[in-house]
Amino acid sequence: MSALTLEHIYKDFSGLQVLTDISLEVEEGERHAIIGPNGAGKSTLFNLITGQYKPSQGTIRLMGRDITGRSVHKIARMGLSRSFQVINNFPKMTVFENVQNAIVSRCNKRFNIASFLDRSAKIHQHTEEILHSVGMMEAKDMTATELSYGWQRKLELALALALDPVIVMLDEPMAGLDVEETRGFMELIRSLTHGKTLVVVEHDMDVVFSLADRITVLSYGGILITGSPEEVRASEAVKNAYLGRNAGAAGGK
Amino acid sequence: MTRFHIFRHGWKVLGAAFVIFLPLIVPEMKVHMATEVLVYCLFAVSFNLLLGYAGLLPFGFAAMFGVGAYAAALMFNHLGGAPLVVVMVVAAASGLVSALMIGAFCVRLGGTYFALLTLAFQMFFYAVALKWRSVTNGDDGIPVMRPELYLPGFGNLSLMNIHNLYWVTLFFVVLGILAAYLFLKTPLGNAVVCMRENEERAAFLGYNTYLTKLTVFSFAGLLAGLAGALYALFQEFVATTAIDANMSFAVVLMTIVGGTGRFSGPIVGAVFFMLFQDWISDITDHWWLYFGILFIVVVMYLEGGVSSLLNTSLIKRLLGRKALE
Repeated sequence: MSALTLEHIYKDFSGLQVLTDISLEVEEGERHAIIGPNGAGKSTLFNLITGQYKPSQGTIRLMGRDITGRSVHKIARMGLSRSFQVINNFPKMTVFENVQNAIVSRCNKRFNIASFLDRSAKIHQHTEEILHSVGMMEAKDMTATELSYGWQRKLELALALALDPVIVMLDEPMAGLDVEETRGFMELIRSLTHGKTLVVVEHDMDVVFSLADRITVLSYGGILITGSPEEVRASEAVKNAYLGRNAGAAGGK
Repeated sequence: MTRFHIFRHGWKVLGAAFVIFLPLIVPEMKVHMATEVLVYCLFAVSFNLLLGYAGLLPFGFAAMFGVGAYAAALMFNHLGGAPLVVVMVVAAASGLVSALMIGAFCVRLGGTYFALLTLAFQMFFYAVALKWRSVTNGDDGIPVMRPELYLPGFGNLSLMNIHNLYWVTLFFVVLGILAAYLFLKTPLGNAVVCMRENEERAAFLGYNTYLTKLTVFSFAGLLAGLAGALYALFQEFVATTAIDANMSFAVVLMTIVGGTGRFSGPIVGAVFFMLFQDWISDITDHWWLYFGILFIVVVMYLEGGVSSLLNTSLIKRLLGRKALE
């Protein structure tokens, strides 16, 4: 079964057509990258899938269930979580508390008043598991703002993964990282999303081509091609529209 | 245990003992005042659940306080003999219901819009209290007879006795403040803080931000309704002053002056507000002017409010760190 299905999605912002007839299937367990030049509509597509915007037309299905027009929190609870391109955490809370907020949600204790948060062994344990998995235990008592930028990116990933989602959507997870950090971070993403369905928007072509099983190329609000990295690399249309003449070398943007 | 711990816990025990035995220590006039202070402590704590923890600033929070006060007054007068506890519970529930009604509209909005829409609702409630004379007596208000409290083992206690009234008020205020304190330690209490810290991120983690904010608004309304009922009991009189804009702004001022960042902030603020009012109104009629100046000074130069002056690190510094360790 497809984890995520988009059927003929259109989106316009008061007359400005941003997305036109987007149809896409992301299989379960697949790592799917969405790329495209600036302004191609990647972020809009992301926001449509995660419920921030509602499509003008079309249907979005998550594990076969129609999620079109559902609110953000309901889609998150159904197993779709995301990270943000611009750091988006709970800045004054500690790393532990940040992740804990996600764990409380995952354990369905959002409206619980019958227990004390700091006495809940289960929440504590799950939170530490997540922190271990991303290697942030040593920073657990630092507030999010005290973290270096690279670690804030890690926290962003931790928040997305802490919900134990069916689909993880990462919006430019490497944005602003240097080459060294990017390599380490890519390995982290690869190992942590093992067996999960991953949808990632990324500008770094090295990352995209080595991480993704399939790639969708957006251009001017439409899909240019969806295919394996080899197919995308070989596509003349993609070369022209996006990668430039030396596409095979997988250079930067 | 270091000497500092002993000092800190000892300080708490002494403080609690002082509050409990206060009527036996201070003159009767001061007991009156202390009772009133207690009422405002609960009101300010409930307000700070919104301002300090949920990050919501309602300018019209007296609506719930007033509804509780009127509900209690009407019950005292028309349901003679209703046990005090029942009256308190029903008044608190009326605060909850009115908060649900107002909150359902207001918590969708943020910032200034939220603040002003709550003010609009409060003015509406005020107008009802003013004009619905057959029920509220309008400007003239409703005189209240304090009922007797039946306490097993003690028999009927007259609440006309200010000592008894103080202890009864203390009981309900402590109950309310304790409820607020424990609420904040629950997962729901944590979710409320998430609304303040980053509502958008919380939504993407699966939190229903609207319901979370409506819940805390209603809970704060419940406590404000209880405070209003205690106010009616203490004043023996409820008029539109219980539900007007002055009451709304008083709670904003005392909470901010006390400090929103600590749980004890609004309690310190309420005590300070009342003591300051008591002291300066002996000297001048324009006490709001001086409180206004003080408010500005606190906002500009004392970020954590007056309560930040009472924190342990300052006491440590004053008494000398070494002496206590």
